[in-house]
This record gives sequence, C-alpha cells and structure tokens, in this order.
Amino acid sequence: MSLYLFQALNGIGLGMIYFLISVGLTIIFGLLNFVNFAHGAYYLLGSYLCFTLVSLTGNFWLALVVAPVAVAMLAWVTEKTLIRRAYHLPHTFHILITLGIALIIQELSIAVWGPIGKTVAVPEALSGVFRMGDFFYPKYRLFVILFTAVIAVGLWLLLERTRFGALVRAGSEDAETVSLLGTHIHKLFALTFALGVGLAGLAGVLAAPIRGVHPFIGPEVLGLAFVVVVIGGMGSFSGALVGGLLVGLVQSMMTTIWPQGASLMIYGAMAVVILLRPYGLFGRA
Amino acid sequence: MNRSKKQASIFSGVTLAALAAVVLMPLLLPSATLATEILIFALAALGCNLLLGYTGLLSFGQAIFFGGGAYVASLTMIHLGFGLLGALFAAMIAGAALAALVGLLAIRRTGIYFVMLTLAFTQMAYFLAYTLSDWTGGDNGLLDVPRPPLTLFGFEISDLTSSYAFYTFVAVMFMLIFVFARRVIHSPFGTTLVAIRENEGRASAVGFSTNHFKLLAFVISGGITGIAGALYAMLLNFAPLSNIELLMSENILIMTIIGGTGSLLGSLLGAGSIVMLGDLLSSVWPRWMIILGIALIAVVLFMPSGLWGGVESLIKRWKERRSGGSEKAAKEAEAK
Repeated sequence: MSLYLFQALNGIGLGMIYFLISVGLTIIFGLLNFVNFAHGAYYLLGSYLCFTLVSLTGNFWLALVVAPVAVAMLAWVTEKTLIRRAYHLPHTFHILITLGIALIIQELSIAVWGPIGKTVAVPEALSGVFRMGDFFYPKYRLFVILFTAVIAVGLWLLLERTRFGALVRAGSEDAETVSLLGTHIHKLFALTFALGVGLAGLAGVLAAPIRGVHPFIGPEVLGLAFVVVVIGGMGSFSGALVGGLLVGLVQSMMTTIWPQGASLMIYGAMAVVILLRPYGLFGRA
Repeated sequence: MNRSKKQASIFSGVTLAALAAVVLMPLLLPSATLATEILIFALAALGCNLLLGYTGLLSFGQAIFFGGGAYVASLTMIHLGFGLLGALFAAMIAGAALAALVGLLAIRRTGIYFVMLTLAFTQMAYFLAYTLSDWTGGDNGLLDVPRPPLTLFGFEISDLTSSYAFYTFVAVMFMLIFVFARRVIHSPFGTTLVAIRENEGRASAVGFSTNHFKLLAFVISGGITGIAGALYAMLLNFAPLSNIELLMSENILIMTIIGGTGSLLGSLLGAGSIVMLGDLLSSVWPRWMIILGIALIAVVLFMPSGLWGGVESLIKRWKERRSGGSEKAAKEAEAK
C-alpha cells in the first residue's frame, strides 16, 4: 500500500513540474497565438544554470531565484530581437523560428556544459527523508509539491486578480482591441513570453536535483508538454493542471508496473484521449 | 493550359535538371557514399515537401516513417530473407501504414494541434523502438543490416557492393520517385492538395472531403520516406535509433524548408547543401548544428521561399536581362 502512496506522491510532484512547463506554453499560446517550440530548450537552460550556480556557490536557493529570472530575461530579449519579427507571418513560421532557437540553445548548452549529463545535489536542508509512522518520503520531493502548489496559486492570482492578468486574458480574446484601448501590446507580449518561458526555466531548476541534467532532455520535455496540453486543452489553466497531474501520475504508476514502457504509456494515453475526445478533456471545439 | 501540360510531361526542364544533378553529383563530390546520402535525404525531403509545400501540413512525424522503413527493411532482410526490392517494398508499405495510422489520429485536429500531435507521436515511436530493443537493438541500433544484390526475374544485375553501383541504384530509385511525385503534384489530386493548403475551408465547401485528401497525402509521403529510411539502412549496413528520433524529423524538415517548399528541386538542393555542410563541418566542429538553427531563422525571416526560391529569382532576372532589349523596343513601339 505504502508503495502506491509513494508512487502517487512521486506522480503528483512530477505532474506539478509538467504543469509548470505546460502552463507557460499555454499562457504564451493564449496571448501571442503561437506555440513555443523552444520551450524544452529553455527548460534545459534552467536546469544547466541551476547546475552552474549550485556548483559555484553551493546555494540551491540562490539558483531557485536567479536561474528562472535569467531564463526569463533571455526570453524577453529573444522576443524583442527575433520572435517579434515573425508575428505577421503564418503559423508555420513561428514554429520554425522557435525550432531554430531551440537548436541553437541545445547546441550551445552542449558546447558550454559538455555532452555528458550532470547531477545536482539536493540542498542540505532538504536532504534526507520525511517520516510519518512507517511511511518515508524524500524531503526534497515533498518540498517540490508544496512549492509548486504555492507557485500555482500565485500564478492563478496573478492571472485572475491583477491588472496584468486581466490584460493577458483580454489580449487572449482579442489582442487588437486591447491594443486599441491604449495598452502597449508589444510590451505585454514580451512580458508574457518571458513569464511563460521563466516558468519552464523554474521547472528545469526544480527537476534538476531529481532527474539530473541531460543535454538532450529538451525534445522530451517539449513532447511531454504537448501531451499535457493536448489532453488538457490548450489555453486553459485548469487543463494544464489536470493534464499535468494526470500525465505525472500515469508515468509514475507505470514505473512500478512496467518500467521500460512508462514513457510509452503517456503517449498511449494521449492517443486514447484524441480518439475519444479530439478536443481534449477541457477543450472547446 | 498548354504550359501546365508541358510541365507535367516526363521530360520537362525540372526533371532534366534533377537528372543532370544526379549524373553530375558523383563526379563532383569527393565520394559516392556522400552523393548517395544526399539522394536518400533528398527523397525524405521530397516526402516532407509533399506534405508541407503542397498540402500545407507541417509534420514532425517524418522520423517515424524514416525509422520505421529502416527497421522493417532491415528486419525483413535479416529474419525473412527478403531481397533488395522486397525489402524496399516492405519498407514502403510500412512507411505508408505508419503514416496512415499517425495521419488518422493527427488529422482529427487541425492547425497547431496537428503539429503538436505529430511531434508527440514521434516521441511515442522513439520510446516504442527503445522499448522493443530485442527487435531494434535499442540504443545500440540494429547491426549487420545486409545490402542484398539487385536481382530482376532471377538474374543478378549487380551485387551493389561498390559504392558507385549502390549510388546508381539509389539514383534510379530517386528519379523514379521524383517523376512519380511530379505526376502526383500535377494531377487533379495534387491541385486539390494545393487548394487545401491555400484555403481548407473553401476546398471543403466546394465539396472535397479534405480529410481523405490529407490522409492520402500523408500515406504517399510516408511511403516515400519509408523507402528513404530503408536505403539509408542499406547504405550504413546499420539502423541506428537516431533514425526515429525527433531530431531526424527536424533535420528532414529543415532540409525541406532551407531548400524551398513547394518545389521538388528545392528538396534536392536543401538535402544536398545540408548533408554536405554536415560532412564538411561535423568532424571539425561537432556543434555545427548551431549553423542550422541560425540558417533556419534566417530563411524564415529573410528568404521564405528557400534556396531554390533564390535560384529561381536569379534565373528570372537573367531571362529578363536577355530578353530585356526586345521588350524595351516593344514598349517604345507601344508608346509611339
């Protein structure tokens, strides 16, 4: 029984990390109306920055703050210099530009950090296990669940209760009108892109002590985020949350039953959802 | 009308240009193996171009058909003793069947969801190939893939062991598929695909069941890509797991786009330039793919019709200059 509880908690932690990745993808898609194919690469960059900051300063908490902000700032710059030029082009071209960015980030990361994966130590304060009766659970993983839950609530408040969130939501419905009403829409686009990508960077930092850093993780992360948004429906906060948790739980439960096929099953689950509900569990036609 | 008929004929300028390139490549390039690799990826890009350039479908699933074709050809040769043409036929069927399967699911969604689904299915295929390591060799790849001799009606035509003999065989396959692809594009089926690319809603309103057309385009693309994968396995005597990776899909897409979508010669040009670039740089600078990323962004922003588009505008300018004198005279006469 406790094995299943253990795996369920693992699944929730993993699912919350998937949620962070996918919700960033979703926010960007909602407002800017394109899918960021470099999302996995920015996640990778978050992980690597975490590795470097932890090995330089030994302080994970510093990495937890600095790395996502640095990734977000880089995203802000790429939006200003490259992506902005493609807004007037067809959909395909947005994908190709971000695909080019992803290739460049991945290859530069290998050039800087080498082709072999790295490990990041769990921060001192969170090493060891949490015990309750005869149930043990790693403290760091528990922290990930709690921390991402806080982030999720904060993000929800940001989107639902602030002026910035209202503008993002209004812009998702009709960017032109928002622009006509006097909002500097390009500023909003750049900020939203930075926010979405920063969430991917944060997910990369949080996952680094659990899964290590591997230079070719980008495409896998991108694929997983796509599964989440295909299942949950694109452009929906709750869809990303439920989809992320579902994928995380399926993956971690399958690890106990059929370890080699765990990744495979996620994509199988996606195919089933597509067959039964082509617009996702929460999607609208 | 007359013009389009002329273009569709087998011995058109485009086909002759492709033929000239195929004949010249082994003479100009340092090795026949490199030339063979170029033609194999040109085939894969051709398959991708049918989808992206003519139907407007951006598919990240091409690695499934490429890798699937490579595995099926290798396995049928190793375990069932298939000959050269038999294995290629099996790879074509496998590529087409996989494309039908992916297409049936992915076409249920349009636009960006379609693109995301094809990417997710490539990841799925990758993990499937990784999991079935008893058959595919997993991470190590499938080793000792044979390259059977070419036999027709029981007569051995060539043993294909020399790299030039194999190049010749691949070149013949390439030209056959190139002519076939041209026929497809210039058929009513092909023009309907272009109509779907331009405006799917209108094509469907006119009465075409666009999903059937898209699915058939997928199947043709998958068949061609499957053959390319099989030829690649025979060239290397090896079917690596990287055949079915997302990166393979991206490479095929980048070749297609940098070469120029919507023109078959562009696929040859794109595959040629990127395979040669990789051959030149990969040993000197293992991170040469950065250049691909930059080139992709540059093409999208500054040269959306790709390399072939650039060549075409040069040809046009040259023709204009040649006929410039007479046109000028005609205009002057008109003014009078």
